[in-house]
Amino acid sequence: MCSVASLALVASIATPELRAQQEERPEVMRGLELESAGKYRDAVVILRAAVHTAPSPTAVLALERVYAELGMSDSLLAPIDTLIRLNPREPLYRSIQLRTLQTLRRDDQLREAFERWVRASPRDPAPYREYARILIQLGRPASGDTIIMRGKNALGTLRDLEYENAQLRAALGEWVPSAQSWRRALSDAPYLATAAAFALAPAPASARENIRDVFLSFPVELGARRALADLLLSWGAPMAAWESLRSLRPDTASATVWSEFAERAYADERWVLARDAYTAALGVRRLPHLAVRASVAALKAGTPNDVFSLAPLAEMGADSATAARQYVPLHVDALVAIGRTLDAEALIATYDRYFSPVQRMRATQSVAMGWVRAGDLQKARAALTAAGADADSSDAAGLLALYEGRLDAARLLLRSGAVPGADLTPALGIIARLRTDRAPTVGAAFLALARGDSAGASGKFVEAAAAEPAVAPALLLMAARLKGVRGDAAIPIWQKIVADFPGTPEAAESELEWARALRRRGDLASATARFEHLILSAPQSALLPQARRELEQLRGTVPPSS
Amino acid sequence: MKYPGVIRSALALILTATSARAQRLLVPMDDAQTNHLKAYGLTYNAVKTGVQAEWLLNYRGGSFLVPDAPELRRRAALDGISVEPVTDAQLAAIRRDIAGANMESVPLERAPRIAVYTPPEAQPWDDAVTLALKYAGIDFTPIYDDQVEQGDLSKFDWLHLHHEDFTGQFNKFHLGYRDAPWFRDLVAKNAAAAKRMGFSSVPALKKDVAEKIRAFVERGGFLFAMCGATETLELAIAGHDVDIAGEFADGTPMDPDADSRLNWKRSLAFKDAHLERSPFVNAMSDIDGHQVNVPGRRQPLGTFTLFNFSAKFDPVPSMLVQDHRSVISDYYGVTTSFTKATLKSGVVVLATEEGAPWVKYIHGDYGKGTWTYLGGHDPEDPQHAIGNPPTDLSLHRSSPGYRLILNNVLFPAAKKKPLKT
Repeated sequence: MCSVASLALVASIATPELRAQQEERPEVMRGLELESAGKYRDAVVILRAAVHTAPSPTAVLALERVYAELGMSDSLLAPIDTLIRLNPREPLYRSIQLRTLQTLRRDDQLREAFERWVRASPRDPAPYREYARILIQLGRPASGDTIIMRGKNALGTLRDLEYENAQLRAALGEWVPSAQSWRRALSDAPYLATAAAFALAPAPASARENIRDVFLSFPVELGARRALADLLLSWGAPMAAWESLRSLRPDTASATVWSEFAERAYADERWVLARDAYTAALGVRRLPHLAVRASVAALKAGTPNDVFSLAPLAEMGADSATAARQYVPLHVDALVAIGRTLDAEALIATYDRYFSPVQRMRATQSVAMGWVRAGDLQKARAALTAAGADADSSDAAGLLALYEGRLDAARLLLRSGAVPGADLTPALGIIARLRTDRAPTVGAAFLALARGDSAGASGKFVEAAAAEPAVAPALLLMAARLKGVRGDAAIPIWQKIVADFPGTPEAAESELEWARALRRRGDLASATARFEHLILSAPQSALLPQARRELEQLRGTVPPSS
Repeated sequence: MKYPGVIRSALALILTATSARAQRLLVPMDDAQTNHLKAYGLTYNAVKTGVQAEWLLNYRGGSFLVPDAPELRRRAALDGISVEPVTDAQLAAIRRDIAGANMESVPLERAPRIAVYTPPEAQPWDDAVTLALKYAGIDFTPIYDDQVEQGDLSKFDWLHLHHEDFTGQFNKFHLGYRDAPWFRDLVAKNAAAAKRMGFSSVPALKKDVAEKIRAFVERGGFLFAMCGATETLELAIAGHDVDIAGEFADGTPMDPDADSRLNWKRSLAFKDAHLERSPFVNAMSDIDGHQVNVPGRRQPLGTFTLFNFSAKFDPVPSMLVQDHRSVISDYYGVTTSFTKATLKSGVVVLATEEGAPWVKYIHGDYGKGTWTYLGGHDPEDPQHAIGNPPTDLSLHRSSPGYRLILNNVLFPAAKKKPLKT
């Protein structure tokens, strides 16, 4: 943050004369090359001569860097003094002088240099800005405050010192005044949004609401809203972050901010936010790649219907090949997700001649998955056959094998996380622990689950536990989960797991859930006994910290809101 | 071989089942400990049940030694406290180590009866000490003005004060919170209490309470104060016969000669402090070095260093500074620190910030009792502001700052030995 600010500052204070010297002399270029190569001692000779004969900002700044690398910053003071005598109002040389004295920790000389600068340029905010910034960096915010106030009195306004004032207030823990100052600074310099968010991020929870109000107040400005969004993200409030950006005026600048936010949300797998932000950006700029990203986010967010409006096939006009490549696969997935698998099949048929073999296979696999999810194993098998031999290695084929109890094939084909919308982790865990290749009762239980028959599935998992003792606790735990963790119906199953399978990971999890159910019911004594039994009987369980924490909450030894 | 704490606890349990019981359990208080704060609760409650425990000063961070009893092992396992079974031979080796170094074994024989001066409606989370006691599982009795005035202090050995303003000026919070419902409620309740107990104003009531606290210490009580209670208790005691409260608090202006009329012979720790006369400046006096609520005077937070005392010759200050860290990050409070210039001679400085004109942690005798002051509000909430969420100590199980608080709770349990210095 500081380096960005420093660069901005250096750019702003360079005089037109200095800026005009864009073509550097060969000896300066040579000095820069030596610096880049780490040959500081050689570079310093050339740069010192260049600064002496015809100083340019590039040469002076390079000399400053090279001396710092060599630990010889004090050698810069004499040439800088000379340059200042020749150009007493040149802020670049004054800034370098202050920085150098700061590096050397010569506090008294630093102060004197600042005073000389003020005398040379009494109406210039730069000396106050630079010196205050240095004091903040030195951890002397109170002294920085004095300088800012002095600058305000001398200049008649804080306008040119808002950035430093904002940093200062934050350093002093005056969060709301800092936010107000940032807000004013951002009006002129929206690129400071990241710096503002970084400075205000440590604000305590009690100040955050007021800070939010400062940035949300009218008028709606891009810089302020970007800063607030970054801030809210750092405070763990991504939804509020999006809300702060949503009300920006729809124009190309806002669309860029929305797209950037959407990319971050997409990368963080916050699908709802990504979908909404992409949708907002699409409202300004209809770009096919944004439509595809928005549709993927919508599918992941569980709102497949949005795909039809985000990526309408009509938008592609007569370009069926592009439609088949970009939008049709999304529509197929959306139709499958909302249970219109037949329509998905029809859509594939319509665009079939535009598909590459790989695209065709993926689309057909998606349809097969639709039938598998519906529990229609016959149609799923037919779709996989139609997709060709490669489809036999698909995730859909793996699920089909699982539901039919063919565990050897299921083990081979299923990968956790590969099937959209399906949490395969429990199934994979169970089939990995089973030594047999055929377990029809287990397959039947997962099939009932796929068909959405929770009650039936729960009963079938209990039956499967009796048939497959090797994984009985895991199957019983699945049955308990399907009973609904918020009710008491699962208690007999948890009880059985704890009693019959002590020492298993499922016993620890069951006891934790059992204790929670008792606590919800208000039976605090029994809940305490269960938590204690879990802690004492499973000292190596990964659930131990959680159990301890909940026991502490139950005893009232930690604040209830935590 | 080193084991993580959880495994160590598990091993301890396994040992219970498979081997002959050890004679003692060592509760280490160095980095091997997984829950330093609850270790104090384990020891305190063991002593409370009549068990003889020992505090091994400077041995592995100020460890505790308790008998190897099933209930203690169970408690330790439930709370995630690391304990190590110690055989007679190992114990003999520990005692040899202690004898040959700056260490000492102090028997803990009687758990002090604990009172915390706090408003009846206050939650335990309002005060770092009640927070620590609650988390460590140490019982305490909340008392307030009514109980103090009724003479209930005599029922307790140990008293804690936190952010009460004994000058009766409500920490000058009227400057920022005059219209806040909680502040209006606080003022109304205190005013009603003063009236009910026959005092002309809240400052008059608080001064009388301060006087009774002073007498409690003089009679042999242990006083531990933090935050604003340290400074204001002293001002109220020294200003017993002077109007030191602003007009906004008691309807009459502060005595114009209040500073010169303060009687510092009556106070416990401080002398020659100057009152802050302005009702618009949120400070009480120049006792506090940091002046957190006065923007132009506020000093930044640094770190403070605990002094290392001779465990054999100065066991009391040694007990108060037992910790697994010697340098601790500072934290603000209404009173954050104590300026060196206002300390009475004879005050024992327990922790200070190097190069600063203030100290953080002080202790001393008064009459037959002792007092200890620790500046700041909450060791794990350095910038504490009103309305901040409460500190969750399960996230700070090894807080070195909170250990200082719990040292104070436990040290009155130590068997008195004649002081050698």
